[in-house]
Amino acid sequence: MKFGLFYELSVPRPWTRESERTVYDNALEQVKLADELGFDQVWAVEHHFLEEYSHCPAPELFLTACAMLTKRIRVGFGIVVCVPEFNHPIKIAERTAVLDILSGGRVEVGTGRSATWTELAGFNASPDVTKKSWDEFVRCLPRMWTSEKFEFEGEFWSMPRRTILPKVYQRPHPPMWVAVTSPGTELDAADRGLGSLGLTFGQFAEQEKRIAEYRRRIQLCEPVGEFVNDQVSTVNFLYCHEDDAVALKTGRQMANHFNYLAAQLMSVRETYPSKSYPSLGLLPQLRRQATGPESSEQAGEGLCLGGPERVTRALKRWEACGVDRVNFLINTAETIPQAEVLASLRLFAREVMPAFNGSKA
Amino acid sequence: MPLFGELELGTITRDLPKMRDLDTEAWELPKAEILQLACEVADGSRVLLPRALHPAIPEYVTFVVTRYPESPVGAFDLAQVRLMARAGVHPRGYVLGAVASTAAATSALRERWGYPVVPGEIGLRRYHDRVAASVRRDGQTILELALVDPEIVSGGDLQYIHGITLARLDGAAQLIQVDPHYTLHTAARGRAHVSRFEAAAWNGAPIVLTTPISASVSTSDTDLPRIRFVMDPETPVVRGTRKVR
Repeated sequence: MKFGLFYELSVPRPWTRESERTVYDNALEQVKLADELGFDQVWAVEHHFLEEYSHCPAPELFLTACAMLTKRIRVGFGIVVCVPEFNHPIKIAERTAVLDILSGGRVEVGTGRSATWTELAGFNASPDVTKKSWDEFVRCLPRMWTSEKFEFEGEFWSMPRRTILPKVYQRPHPPMWVAVTSPGTELDAADRGLGSLGLTFGQFAEQEKRIAEYRRRIQLCEPVGEFVNDQVSTVNFLYCHEDDAVALKTGRQMANHFNYLAAQLMSVRETYPSKSYPSLGLLPQLRRQATGPESSEQAGEGLCLGGPERVTRALKRWEACGVDRVNFLINTAETIPQAEVLASLRLFAREVMPAFNGSKA
Repeated sequence: MPLFGELELGTITRDLPKMRDLDTEAWELPKAEILQLACEVADGSRVLLPRALHPAIPEYVTFVVTRYPESPVGAFDLAQVRLMARAGVHPRGYVLGAVASTAAATSALRERWGYPVVPGEIGLRRYHDRVAASVRRDGQTILELALVDPEIVSGGDLQYIHGITLARLDGAAQLIQVDPHYTLHTAARGRAHVSRFEAAAWNGAPIVLTTPISASVSTSDTDLPRIRFVMDPETPVVRGTRKVR
């Protein structure tokens, strides 16, 4: 099992000139430490206009900074929005290739399509066709990275024959993933030979069932890339402290704050009836779990909040469910002081990581 | 912490509907026809939203025009303008203003669920290329809107967000959650077009419509249920909610 960090870069009000800079600086310091401690990946979202919840619209820039500060940790787009109004596919191919070169072949490319009215309407994109445009993008990207010359005529974009430069550093190309929040999206990933980048929390039984179906389905896939990425990644909260009670109280506050902010998002389905968004995705679970931004009550099943033994037990359960990677949210809206976040990472690396293959202490 | 509403309660308390109690019996409302439009609004609507609630991001309103062919007070039509919000983590529509087509419905909705409803004339018509509604009061058209180019969708594609009214109960202002059930029989969606909206007539003077979002129409068996939750309008709902039943 491999471990990573996952960044939304949430910035609490009141916003000052320094508050966003502080959040970015803190995140970079955490990533630098995580690299030294043996964490395997860092992921950054692409979100736009999501006040407080995520001030991370340009993951390629944040990830470039991460790559320049580190030596081994892999840098993942978690995700890049594959909707033409947000990102032209040529630009995605070019930006990911440049970062792959700068990082020495450490890029991972998560793909997705946005799930909020706030973002889609902000770019004047129709929610009805985002799945189709995403599908077109993910089929093109590997060819854009690997073909000497590329031309394309599709429903959402076209280009005449050109050489797309530079080429990715990794051979044949970086691993590709799909953001999975709604039930069923993991099957879209499996059918295309793409990794399942799970963005939901907790719920062992449900996740185990979905992972099993993903594993079955990917055996039959027609891969869009030159290799099949059959890994399953999930997201979790992490706050590790020697004292279980302290860890639970602090960690739950962070988790509740995150859930509360996430529940403020205006999902497509809330306002715009569309077959393209048949479920609310992540939101129902977060609304069930959120008990208030300052509450320290309640924590979902399988969260990595507690002392080393408790966190190890939770991760062993995830491993048994078939999860290959766990990416941690380690703070939200600066709820936890930076020194404590760093201490949590150090404790995790020292006491928990050695219990899992593939991660060094 | 997300933003909160900025309503100065003292400025409107005297106009609030007076509820007799919270023992409201449910109304079964079969075969209702529900036209709903959503539209983003310019910044500035937060002054209308109670401090207990968070504004939606972006700020938006919904217009809901419903024809109830059967009810305990006979057939009636109801038009609502709702400022959309979050009660803690839950999306809710705070009812700014409402118009009902009969006197019996007007008084019952005020007394039993706290709707800020006044009597008026409501039109709801289906054409081949649109479903149109209009609301008139005191001889003036105060709302005219339409769902344009309807296309059939699954009932499962529609989501109706529960409402919240602000009423006076035992001398104090209270937010009342109104959370109907829906069994949808038909559903369609289309483009939203609002040709006339007199915001002041709906207790929403600062509201300026900007970007239309969507429109839907359905036929549904629904209800006006028993009251389950009330909230202090001045306290964040995670702390100020009381379960009635």
